[in-house]
Amino acid sequence: MPQFFLNKRLIMLLVSIIILVALIGFSLRDREELTWPEQFVKDTTGWVQSLVSRPAHYIAGFFENLEDLQDTYDENKKLKKHLDDMAQLEAKVYSLQKENKELKDILDKKGSLQDYKPMQATVIARSPDRIWHEKIIINKGKSDGVKKNMAVMTSRGLIGKIKSTTPFTSTVQLMSGSDPTNRISAALQSDKQIYGTIDGYDEQKKLLLLKGLPFDSKIKKGQNVVTSGLGGVFPPNVPIGKVQKVEPGELGLNQTAYIKPDADFYDIQHVMVLKRLMPSPPAAAIGEGGL
Amino acid sequence: MKRITVPLLFIFLFLLESLFVDIIPPEVFNSGRVMVPRFLMAAIFFLTVYGNAKQGVIYGLIFGLLFDMVYTEILGVYLVLFPLLSYLFANVMRILQTNVVVVSAVSLIGIALLEVGVYEMNLLIHITNMDFSNFVSVRLFPTLVLNMAFLVLAAYPFKRQFEKFADFLRND
Repeated sequence: MPQFFLNKRLIMLLVSIIILVALIGFSLRDREELTWPEQFVKDTTGWVQSLVSRPAHYIAGFFENLEDLQDTYDENKKLKKHLDDMAQLEAKVYSLQKENKELKDILDKKGSLQDYKPMQATVIARSPDRIWHEKIIINKGKSDGVKKNMAVMTSRGLIGKIKSTTPFTSTVQLMSGSDPTNRISAALQSDKQIYGTIDGYDEQKKLLLLKGLPFDSKIKKGQNVVTSGLGGVFPPNVPIGKVQKVEPGELGLNQTAYIKPDADFYDIQHVMVLKRLMPSPPAAAIGEGGL
Repeated sequence: MKRITVPLLFIFLFLLESLFVDIIPPEVFNSGRVMVPRFLMAAIFFLTVYGNAKQGVIYGLIFGLLFDMVYTEILGVYLVLFPLLSYLFANVMRILQTNVVVVSAVSLIGIALLEVGVYEMNLLIHITNMDFSNFVSVRLFPTLVLNMAFLVLAAYPFKRQFEKFADFLRND
């Protein structure tokens, strides 16, 4: 027995396994906040990363611009066509907005869960450990009012939610990550809204999985999928993507739709953190895992 | 100056991994496949051989912890795998020749082991539920190809830099 304890390597191995299990167990808990050493390290590295990433993005952007120049002509043609529709749409939106406001005034209803304020942020780093940890780090943190679970989008659509915050940076968990705890409540836009949850990502086909749709609902290809805004701090009607195809679920009790995301999960530089203007109930009232 | 070149090199590689996935669009390569830069691990392997084995393990420990804290937020995975693999690597290289080609080849095997280790751990804690064959084709092979290319470019500069570092440590 004493010989066993003298074997230094074996003891080291056992101790490191114990540390490993303890640390993983500690970090897998649903943590409200990171510990202060983590916050300190993330802020420090975040500062260095923002110094490096800005010039790097600038250079990368230059080459991208050169590439873009090649298909400017085609794009211009397409955009001109869009522009004609745009004026019509604008007039329609204006009249609808006005009507909405008048109706709200009649009802004496102030504010809505729909109202949110976007906050601009820049990506300063991205987790190299792809698939398992699809995360980006942005340059706005607790001091700017970012909170856990807030929705994050690019100009095109939703990309994910805030995973953790430190005073000056925050980490965004992208929807393309494989973490099964990463779910987002979504709705299909049609006459009658159909609800489901975004749960999982097909890495090879690059499609999001919308699960838990009722088995008898009729879903068409090309239908829009938006956030439902049910519970938590997500605002409703943030675009997510379009239905690509529908398949029966695992047990045939519901359906799974494959969604082509509006946003690009790879080429991300500037994002918006969506801050809901109406105060949300305290986290305890929503319960575990509520969104 | 000599004292800080190696730590600076490691910090640079730490940032480079993130910049690499951030800036290089995946469409440049074959899409639907994922390439993970493992520049830090490769540098740590070279440090254990041409520099100092003990320093290699210590750098593995420090940058493993940093990687966990900043990029994955799950403490422990890289904190254990980086130093463990560099320790194993140092022991294996005691038997083999330390010429650049052999070291690069064994480093590549080490990177493959790291990838498999990370995958198994993530499977265990339910971060992923991808099956092994899928993992091999989507992530493991493309990753090895990318890191092989990196090693071809960086092997010789790494060797020179870490040998200088070893000289410096000996004279100190």
